[in-house]
Amino acid sequence: MAASVTGLLKPWTPRVLLVRWSRYNPYYLEPEPRKEVYHIPETELTPEQKEERELKSVRPIKAATNSVTSSVFNDPVLSKFVNMMMKDGDKIIAKGIITQTLENMKRKQVEKYHKAPEGKKAEIECNPYTIFHHALENCKPVIGLASIQKGGKFYQVPIPLTDNRRRFLAMKWMITECRDNKHRRTLMYEKLSQELLAAFSKEGNVVKRKHELHKMAESNRAYAHYRWW
Amino acid sequence: RCLSGLSKNACQSEQHLGQYYTVPPSHFHTVFPHGLPPRYQQQVKSFNEGCVMVRQPALELISHLKRADYSKPTLRYLLYGVKGSGKTMSLCHAVHYCSKQGWLVLHIPDAHLWVKNCKELLPSSYHASRFDQPIQASNWLRNFRTTNEHFLSKIKLRQRYVWTKRESTEEGRPLGELVDMGVSRVKSSSDVVGAVLKELRLQAGGTEGGFRLAVAVDGVNGLWGRTTLKKEDKSPVAPEELTLVHNLRKMINNDWCGGAVIATLSQTGSLYAPSSAYLPQELLGEEGFDSMDPFIPVPVSLYSEKEFESCYLYYLDRHWLQHPHSQTEEGKKELIFLSNRNPSVLERLCAFL
Repeated sequence: MAASVTGLLKPWTPRVLLVRWSRYNPYYLEPEPRKEVYHIPETELTPEQKEERELKSVRPIKAATNSVTSSVFNDPVLSKFVNMMMKDGDKIIAKGIITQTLENMKRKQVEKYHKAPEGKKAEIECNPYTIFHHALENCKPVIGLASIQKGGKFYQVPIPLTDNRRRFLAMKWMITECRDNKHRRTLMYEKLSQELLAAFSKEGNVVKRKHELHKMAESNRAYAHYRWW
Repeated sequence: RCLSGLSKNACQSEQHLGQYYTVPPSHFHTVFPHGLPPRYQQQVKSFNEGCVMVRQPALELISHLKRADYSKPTLRYLLYGVKGSGKTMSLCHAVHYCSKQGWLVLHIPDAHLWVKNCKELLPSSYHASRFDQPIQASNWLRNFRTTNEHFLSKIKLRQRYVWTKRESTEEGRPLGELVDMGVSRVKSSSDVVGAVLKELRLQAGGTEGGFRLAVAVDGVNGLWGRTTLKKEDKSPVAPEELTLVHNLRKMINNDWCGGAVIATLSQTGSLYAPSSAYLPQELLGEEGFDSMDPFIPVPVSLYSEKEFESCYLYYLDRHWLQHPHSQTEEGKKELIFLSNRNPSVLERLCAFL
């Protein structure tokens, strides 16, 4: 639908020009925040990239959001996690908690590393970013359940999940687990770092929840044919 | 790049600028029970060792301390600089040097802790209009005892002190007894602190068994500002009305000889001072500047390029910079840009990278 609409719409500017929000005319193109793309010299561009460049010089471009940076340390998964942790739009506090979590994880691992004997040093993973990514991978469910109505009753039917949905579920479970099931007086970054380190070594409540979901899906295998897509 | 601690301490010179020297772990608990910044203590715990960078202000201080004439009245050194530029660390470096040379070190970790957030303010028994702070005084005495164990039995009191109708300390008793009494009898601990300071001041320059006294005060601008403490009728307490502050001011006056006073300005803990203020004139105020007046200012600047390189390599060596991009050239340029070579900002950035 967007393709046909794009054909009809000419480059128009509305009378009231809204900038920096998320609803744009489909005519607008996405911004490119990465620096490497702009450093490729003219000769090495493929024909598609040349076309893209020419298109960009003619069409208007959406404004980039505040969370996207051209820095080398920008991580989209981490930004998503920060957004999910945010309450009442307070991104500063959420980002602060995440940085404290990463620092806490790094400190624990580096302490272990420096105290370990020579043979064990290579096995200890010190990079908080790899720990975070691996822990999230270990928490992602492979198969999910959907509530489908058939003959007046609702059945829990196992369905495949898209990548985005799996990532969302992993992050959501991590955050709710840390908010609800821990001791009241520990700070959020402490709870998160404990949970992430446990998930990295496949222990802890979040991977347990993932396994329980898998077991439910396995037990409801009989209803799998209720899915029509 | 990491020199070994002990023997090279005395002969650190300009060649070692920018390099790190290790403080042996046994020294941390004796020399620095309360002096180091909290983030640095966490770093020591994570890396399992304590390394301090040799920087220009600390070397300047140490060279002054080596060449000063200790029969003349004390020289006062003031470290000042922008927030996070390494003043407290330079002070701790100088204190470590002094304690290695066998001086008696009087290290007050932060004078601002004495003028704010005090739960108990007792009216002083010695002087009617002054106020005592038992908790802070007893904490400080305990740390003083850990730092200067071997001096406590050597120094003898020259005067008789009466604490209550039944308690008194006679002339000729060792200083250790006085300090123990101050730690156990919390009510008179501020007066004990005053007595200890007075005794040390009298005996520092003495030729028979004389020792050198180093007074290291962090956040000295707290002694001359306003306090956040209030009396029972909600009127504000001036700093002169606190026994601890009063006695400390007498120490900082240069009417005694045989030692040195090293002080640091600090905006972080200071009360009622704007956050962009870092010069001595602004932070000490009129009164403070007049009392500190003939002092030797030592500016502490942000990291130079060589120092930044050294810090970066140190973090790489201790496996602290874990992000793969932070180990490239681009990441380094970004770190320089984001931190503006400010030591504390760089430390906070590298903590989560």
